[in-house]
Amino acid sequence: MTENIQIAQQNIYKPAIMKIVDRHDEAPGVRTMRLEFQNPADHELFKKTFRTGMFGLYGVYGEGESTFCVASPETRNEYIECTFRQSGRVTSALANADIGDLVTFRGPYGNRFPIEEFHGKNLLFISGGIALPPTRSVIWSCLDQREKFGKVTIVYGARTVADLVYKHELEEWEKRTDVDLVLTVDPGGESPDWKHRVGFVPTVLEEAAPSPDNCIAVICGPPIMIKFTLISLKKLGFDEANVYTTLENRMKCGVGKCGRCNVGSVYVCKEGPVFTAAEVSRMPAADL
Amino acid sequence: MTRILFSDKLDNCVAKWRSAGLAVIGPVQEEAISRYAAVEKGTDFDFGTVLPDRSLKELFFPQTEPMLRYTIKKNEIDTADFTPPQGKRIIFGARACDASGLEIDDPLFGWDYKDEFWFQRRNESVIVTIACTKADDFCMCTSLKLEPDSTKGADVLLRPIDKNKGWLVEELTDRGREAFALISEYLQESSEPALPTVVVPEKFNLDACVTWLKNPENFESKFWKEISMRCIGCASCTYLCPTCHCFDIQDEGDTYSGIRRKNWDSCSFALFTMHTSGHNPRSTQSARWRQRIMHKFNYFPGKFTVNSCSGCGRCSRQCPVDMGITETLQAISNL
Repeated sequence: MTENIQIAQQNIYKPAIMKIVDRHDEAPGVRTMRLEFQNPADHELFKKTFRTGMFGLYGVYGEGESTFCVASPETRNEYIECTFRQSGRVTSALANADIGDLVTFRGPYGNRFPIEEFHGKNLLFISGGIALPPTRSVIWSCLDQREKFGKVTIVYGARTVADLVYKHELEEWEKRTDVDLVLTVDPGGESPDWKHRVGFVPTVLEEAAPSPDNCIAVICGPPIMIKFTLISLKKLGFDEANVYTTLENRMKCGVGKCGRCNVGSVYVCKEGPVFTAAEVSRMPAADL
Repeated sequence: MTRILFSDKLDNCVAKWRSAGLAVIGPVQEEAISRYAAVEKGTDFDFGTVLPDRSLKELFFPQTEPMLRYTIKKNEIDTADFTPPQGKRIIFGARACDASGLEIDDPLFGWDYKDEFWFQRRNESVIVTIACTKADDFCMCTSLKLEPDSTKGADVLLRPIDKNKGWLVEELTDRGREAFALISEYLQESSEPALPTVVVPEKFNLDACVTWLKNPENFESKFWKEISMRCIGCASCTYLCPTCHCFDIQDEGDTYSGIRRKNWDSCSFALFTMHTSGHNPRSTQSARWRQRIMHKFNYFPGKFTVNSCSGCGRCSRQCPVDMGITETLQAISNL
């Protein structure tokens, strides 16, 4: 029967208007933009709801919307930062937008990294290529309340030196005494003055051999990197329940209606994008 | 004693409802297809089909629907909401499977984020179903544990009496009673019996199918390739389905002004899940057909405790290569 249906007061597909206040290029074709809310009510709602790990739909009217994570941490919610690779219609339009231009944002949607549960634990962040942005949101959310966590280790790799994103922040992390940073590039991707490791992320991780004791691992990268890194983590003795990752699938609505982001029965937009490796291993691999 | 609505009074009823501000919608025959559409007089109805070619879905979730309008001036963006058309309406002569389909999709459009485009129309519609006295080989509501006279999603259920003379009236909800109070002068007390509803034979064992689908080992069974070999990915099944709800969002316009629309989409299409990187989680037609069946009978009921299928059979009836849910579930039953 239809009696008990409540009517929504708002159009759930209406985005917030954002102004680009800063932007810079991270790597060839990869750009970071800092966005500020134009409507204080939208901003208040964002501040109330945003937690690290959530995603949003970034858009340009006339072109459409694209889904990426919120790359800025929950501890810095005066603005939103997003990092994207220019490759399609929407990301090209976003890349063409200049400082002062207006774009749209819908979100934040999805679940989050439960960082309160990480208090008192050692943290191991593993990331590959353009998958550093979601990890970076968690990293800064933790580093901004550094005293609450144990040892922090970051393992980050990219194909080539040029492909490393957030280069200025990598330098900052490298200088910090309370962060262990392990950088690597794929064999052949090193430059003559490259001082860090050469090798694939899983190999480098095994060499660095972080202890699984009281440690939470957060891993994000291309599917192939995740696959082999999970094997390495297992070798190192990590329990799947202590390994977190974030999935990204094609989405249109972001709110569990448009029907395309599911992996098996799991709706990435509603039940994810953050999952433990144990949860991912229960999903049908052929649907990933 | 039950009240009867005689079909020769239908014209008066339509006039009465219309003068009370209700738009009247019913099954009609348009040039090549039958569908639910607006009627102005009693003779516009076509109750002769087993069920209309197109489902009731499009009256609640149109094939394409504007969601908002944008206007961009120098450093200013204006977003104006489109509200779904305001106006009460009565849908007279829906089939039970189509009415069930609406109720099946309510929790989907309502979980956490409420889609007002759907619910506004749901709240403004009175649904009058007519129990089926005939069926064809594709009808399969009973296989889905529904009946030709299911009351799911209906505000009033009508049961046909002999010789197309009219219908026995069973009011089910306040909304239905309100709408029929408007035409009470045309209802007559009578003891005439209703025609028996059609017997729709069960075509497959749903419980056995669901058990098979839930077994993770069967996700990569070669069955999926075999059963979907001839699927051409045209999405007719999706578009005609009373419960398929997947959609795309597209902008129509230019840099300065335009409309953002919600359009029907289908899991049959390769582009549906294609990532920007080129990776496609469901890159083959068999993976897409598996998704369609799994979604309807495993994932959707897992979330909303109801199958995303009301057994109308349109997916099989209209399939250009003679596939469909019936065939697949029959094959699973027989595995």
